[in-house]
Amino acid sequence: MSVLEIDNLSGGYSEVNILNGVTVSVGAGEIVTVAGTNGAGKSTLAKAVVGLLPRVEGEIRFEGSVINAVPTEMRANRGIGYVPQVANIFPSLTVQENLEVVVGVTDQRQRIAELFAVFPALASRRRTRAGSMSGGERQQLAYARALMTRPRLIVLDEPTAALSPALVSETFERIRALPSIGASVLLIEQRARQALAISHRGVILDGGRVAMEGPADTLLADERAANLYLGQHG
Amino acid sequence: MAFWIELLISGLVAGLVIGLSALSITLVFGIARFPNAATGDTMTVGAYGALLGHRATNSLLVGGLTGAIAGAIVGFLGYWFIFRKLAQRSNVALLVASIGLAFVLRAILGVSFGHSQQVFQLPLVRPWRIGDVPVHPNDLVLAGACATILAIVFAILHLTPIGRRMRAVADDPALARVSGISPSSVMTVLWLLAGAVSASAGIVAGIKTVVSPEMGWDLLLPAFAAAIVGGIGSPVGAVVAGLLIGVVQEMATPFVGFTYKIALSFLLMLVVLLVRPRGLFGKLEGAR
Repeated sequence: MSVLEIDNLSGGYSEVNILNGVTVSVGAGEIVTVAGTNGAGKSTLAKAVVGLLPRVEGEIRFEGSVINAVPTEMRANRGIGYVPQVANIFPSLTVQENLEVVVGVTDQRQRIAELFAVFPALASRRRTRAGSMSGGERQQLAYARALMTRPRLIVLDEPTAALSPALVSETFERIRALPSIGASVLLIEQRARQALAISHRGVILDGGRVAMEGPADTLLADERAANLYLGQHG
Repeated sequence: MAFWIELLISGLVAGLVIGLSALSITLVFGIARFPNAATGDTMTVGAYGALLGHRATNSLLVGGLTGAIAGAIVGFLGYWFIFRKLAQRSNVALLVASIGLAFVLRAILGVSFGHSQQVFQLPLVRPWRIGDVPVHPNDLVLAGACATILAIVFAILHLTPIGRRMRAVADDPALARVSGISPSSVMTVLWLLAGAVSASAGIVAGIKTVVSPEMGWDLLLPAFAAAIVGGIGSPVGAVVAGLLIGVVQEMATPFVGFTYKIALSFLLMLVVLLVRPRGLFGKLEGAR
């Protein structure tokens, strides 16, 4: 069964459509990459899924039920996690508070302990203000915050865009492991080749439409995809 | 020397009033993101509420609680009927609406209670003398009450789940929503709290001086000055700057006279902003 089904989705921030009839689905345990050039509508698609896009037409279904009218905070409670590209932590809160502030976690203390075990760097800095941490630590905190609710779907908006090259492969490894803890992944990514390498399927957006889609290895081998969208060397 | 210490003490009490009202302004600015010009008249509502409660029961504590609750209710009603509906508009629209609310509150108070000045009928107490310095027990009670209110507000902000959520919304409203935080629950608590805090400031001011429908409006400018000097959005900054402005105003009175001491808070504001544009405790605006 599909965790997420996006059906003929159009919409944008104002009158102008940025998405023009996009259809994408994410199956249980799948990582699906959404690639495309700047301005193709990738981040807008992510915002539509989590409920931050003001105007949408078409249908978004999560675990079978239509969530178009569900407010953002309720989508989070239902099991959709989101890591925005920038501004993905609360800088004036401590590391621990960044996790405690997430609503809808019944076993909060135990969940924080579990996440500190996964991200040991955070455990040692739990009383540090998040805004004073390094980029890599912030990134870990952003994932930990999004994982607090044990989401079944996690939407990642260009997770490697602001990172130093050394952190990029570490981040892709972390994403690759997400299905094993029960989270399917919608991965918005500029580094299409590396993203497809850890994905099951891929979708390439162009001008707010799906230009190509298919299994990740098929897209990686496709000459037209390589020429137009992926770049020869990624 | 005793003269100056006396001025310092009365400056600190005046500073607590400014600090509390600035705290209300800075909380609303940090979370609802507009300068709330109805803060001053919510102070007045608190003072009248306390006056009525005190007259009915002869207990300053009951009076104070009545005033604080009246302020909280006004804060909530303002949010529910006005600011909530304008939440998607620019902060200029919200500012103008809050000025309108301020006029409405003042008019209601003027019609209900008249425009003559009223005072809290408190028993006269002989001041204690510490060395040469006369210390009024009422000042100590008021300072203690203000310190308690500040402690409660900071405990709510830093030790409770709803306080954490308020600070999270202040940091990043969109990220707060994707973390499951409902904006309306945070806003409801914010407005109850901001209303009660401004009312408390008005109650202290009313006890120290006189109660009239115009009192809060007159206290609004120093409160804004303190919120800006402290760094807008910083609760600690608002309180510290309030104390600073209160003390500077009182200590300067022998030099500049009573009439011009208000101007000093703006001089202080100008100097701080020239040297440190983000205010004493303000955050640097991050790039988005």
